[in-house]
Amino acid sequence: MLGTVFDIKEFALHDGEGIRTTVFMKGCPLRCAWCHNPEGLSKEPELYLKQNGCTACGLCKRGCAHEDCKPFGRCLHICPGDLVSVSGKVWSAGELAEKLLSDSGILNSSGGGITVSGGEPLMQHAFVTELLSLLRGKVHRTLETSGFASEEVFRSVAAECDFIIMDIKLADDDEHKKYTGQSNALIFKNASWLKSSKISHLFRTPLIPGITDTEENLTAISSIVGEDKLELLPYNTLAPAKYESVGRTFPSYINQTCAKLPDLKLFKNARIRK
Amino acid sequence: MNNTLYNFYIKDRSYRDTYRKDFSKNLAEEFKAEGLSDDERLIRRFEILTALEEPHIHDFEKIVMLRTTKNIPDCFTEDEWEERRKKHYIHESGYASNLCPNYAKVIEKGLLFFRKDADEYGKRAIDAIISLCDKYLAEAKRQQRLDLVEIFEQIPRYEARNFREALQFFRIIHFSLWLEGDYHNTVGRFDQYMYPYFKRDMDSGIYTFDSALELLEDFFISFNKDSDLYFGVQQGDNGQSMVLGGLNEDGNDSFNLLSELCLIASEELKLIDPKINLRVSKKTPLSVFEKCTKLTRAGLGFPQYSNDDVVIPALIKYGYAKEDAINYVVAACWEFIIPGVGNDIANIGAVNFPAVIDRAIRDSLSKAKSFDDVLEKAEEYIKEECKKTGEDIHDVLVAPSHLMDILRDGKKYNNFGIHGSGIASAADALAAVKKYVFIEKSVTRDELIAALDSNFENSPELLHRLRFEAPKMGQANSEVDSLAGFIMKTFADSLEEKRNCLGGIYRAGTGTAMYYLWHASNLGATADGRRAGEPFGTNFSPSLFAKIPGPVSVIESFTANDMTRNMNGGPLTLEFAFSIFNDEESIGKVARLIEYFVKRGGHQLQLNAVNLDTMREAQKSPELYRNLVVRIWGWSAYFVELDKQFQDHVMRRQEYTV
Repeated sequence: MLGTVFDIKEFALHDGEGIRTTVFMKGCPLRCAWCHNPEGLSKEPELYLKQNGCTACGLCKRGCAHEDCKPFGRCLHICPGDLVSVSGKVWSAGELAEKLLSDSGILNSSGGGITVSGGEPLMQHAFVTELLSLLRGKVHRTLETSGFASEEVFRSVAAECDFIIMDIKLADDDEHKKYTGQSNALIFKNASWLKSSKISHLFRTPLIPGITDTEENLTAISSIVGEDKLELLPYNTLAPAKYESVGRTFPSYINQTCAKLPDLKLFKNARIRK
Repeated sequence: MNNTLYNFYIKDRSYRDTYRKDFSKNLAEEFKAEGLSDDERLIRRFEILTALEEPHIHDFEKIVMLRTTKNIPDCFTEDEWEERRKKHYIHESGYASNLCPNYAKVIEKGLLFFRKDADEYGKRAIDAIISLCDKYLAEAKRQQRLDLVEIFEQIPRYEARNFREALQFFRIIHFSLWLEGDYHNTVGRFDQYMYPYFKRDMDSGIYTFDSALELLEDFFISFNKDSDLYFGVQQGDNGQSMVLGGLNEDGNDSFNLLSELCLIASEELKLIDPKINLRVSKKTPLSVFEKCTKLTRAGLGFPQYSNDDVVIPALIKYGYAKEDAINYVVAACWEFIIPGVGNDIANIGAVNFPAVIDRAIRDSLSKAKSFDDVLEKAEEYIKEECKKTGEDIHDVLVAPSHLMDILRDGKKYNNFGIHGSGIASAADALAAVKKYVFIEKSVTRDELIAALDSNFENSPELLHRLRFEAPKMGQANSEVDSLAGFIMKTFADSLEEKRNCLGGIYRAGTGTAMYYLWHASNLGATADGRRAGEPFGTNFSPSLFAKIPGPVSVIESFTANDMTRNMNGGPLTLEFAFSIFNDEESIGKVARLIEYFVKRGGHQLQLNAVNLDTMREAQKSPELYRNLVVRIWGWSAYFVELDKQFQDHVMRRQEYTV
């Protein structure tokens, strides 16, 4: 089974307990206005142009004979600053598992493991299921998901996980559609199943100024999450940084300056990530 | 923290102008005219300088003594130096350096104990120190500082009776060593030799945790009172290295409450001196690594870790007695030396690995039948280079250091240390040649040489491949790592049989010191995709442009080989963005990483918490960033006091920041 991965991050600090390596699966069915990994949206490999340091020397546009450059219209093997690359590498589940397990010593001894994130990892659920099954018993496995998938897919992948981190972004369905492009109905179904399951989990809410951080939304999320653990993620002001690199535009209506931290009293069991 | 004290010595600093006088007499000419011996010159200078010192005591400080003579005059004229250099090998400035006296013994016995058996010069040195201290005694009496009167009536003549006297005693000795003209005066195992005094006073309730910390901070500040006068290659390169923790003779970890207080004092004060080093091992509890990581977060580049599990057996293998190996400390930067008995010159030379490997590639490539022929040439050249390294070192002459000699029981070890610069660039170059020229055959030999000769002028694609696509050290790639192992092994083999002119051995090292710039500046483009003149990485670290997957891979690469025969010292450096130290959880994860390095048998490690944006701002507006500290190679410095080339190197290292 093949899957497309846009990054493998060693020593990922915020994707679960202990020292972890996080695999970022490419492709996402949501279009969250505040997304900070725009290179994870499309499921196809795509050109990624780092902006900082480009001298417009033109070398990458000169034309080349490399097979792997053809789909992208730029030479990937010439930039003096290594600013021209492709986001999205195709892996077989077996090779990827082998690579990840090469660090299993420290991952295990530190109480860490592997986290599969995205994009939305459930979009490549067959690959992810195979990958997780290959890691079973060898290293702790965490899934980071938006929960946007059919109940069947969600439950079958969840069965291969030791821990699940799941986003709850917006409680109101219209708002959810407006800011993510999709209804939250499936997400809530999966969340409610997860709550009743025996799988250890953590809910997460990104605090987006004026969108998700309103008292109304957070109160509603609090009632959904109940006594389960919730982590609130302060807005990532670096979110717009990568948009230009993949030829996208960050929505201008997100006001980065008015980020505020919510009152934890709204929740039963929440913490704010530093 | 005692703010008044901090403001006076650290922020305001005007005492440096008001208290200090220039020494303008030409002593060397006088000495020459009188035809004085080396011994007489050194002791006479010490007597003159101690006599000139004026006591200054402030009501806000407990640990006293600061320098009032700005410069230490030379003992020899330029002509004489020229003569000396003709007949002898003169290491660096020609005065004693990078040594560690037996502080424990002098603090425990008092100077008069040493005076009994000292020679004429030793006696004069002791008398000079006592006269200097008597000036402090008189000044204390004048100011009615009864606490200091009591202290100076006891020390340095007699033994220290309590923690405060022990600290003041250290200050007197350390201050005097600098005044003797010795430099890179290290601190040794401070938390061990001070612990009995500390513990007794703590047990008897003289100090609380807080009051002991305040006294310790007072003491730490004393390292910074005169340190602007201790200039090395750059400001900050002064060797005031303090070693904490470590395995004791009973095999237990010795980290104690005083060690912990030292970490806290350093974190609170955020000063570049003393330089904090930690001796660790498999027995070091995770909680100690966590405490240390909090200090790392302060951004000073402290602590630097040395792994006892690797270092002690390696030193024993080099021929150090077990009781001495167990007591090892670091010299100015990271070189392993022995307090009280060592006379090693741990930084006498350096091999430029990328240059040697580059020559081997160029000279073997046209005729090589296989990659093994390249390796054979590399081996030949490393051996040749090591052979040459000792050739110009004969009749080493170091100016006498009477005080340092009293405080050492002979000169038991006389080994020389040789740094090895640019290991990653060298191994990466070999790996690239192996892969592209011999295995894939995608680059012809002529093409490679032509590209190197032209500094990749017309070969942007080859440059990209060598620089960014080729395997690199730091990627946990066993091909490259084993080539690094080959270089290090050949280096150790080549030095193993050699004896130096003092009868000691040569120790192969993994440090670079300033050679990461000096060796690199005259070297043309190399097969690892390094352009002409581009610097190497610092010490035992990845090249500056290597694409690194993360710190786990870096640790795996740099612990892949057995380094026990390359144990002169030189750490792997890991650079972390300052922001990752935000929360306790992440600090715990960094601590786990250090533990992993130690368990994998890494020998030395140093971590930095850096903020590239701050450094950029500091280059633009230095006046606003006077307190920004960065790690250079074996010491830390105030960023704005560095030459730009060193500033730039620190900034470029951040390309592989996590």
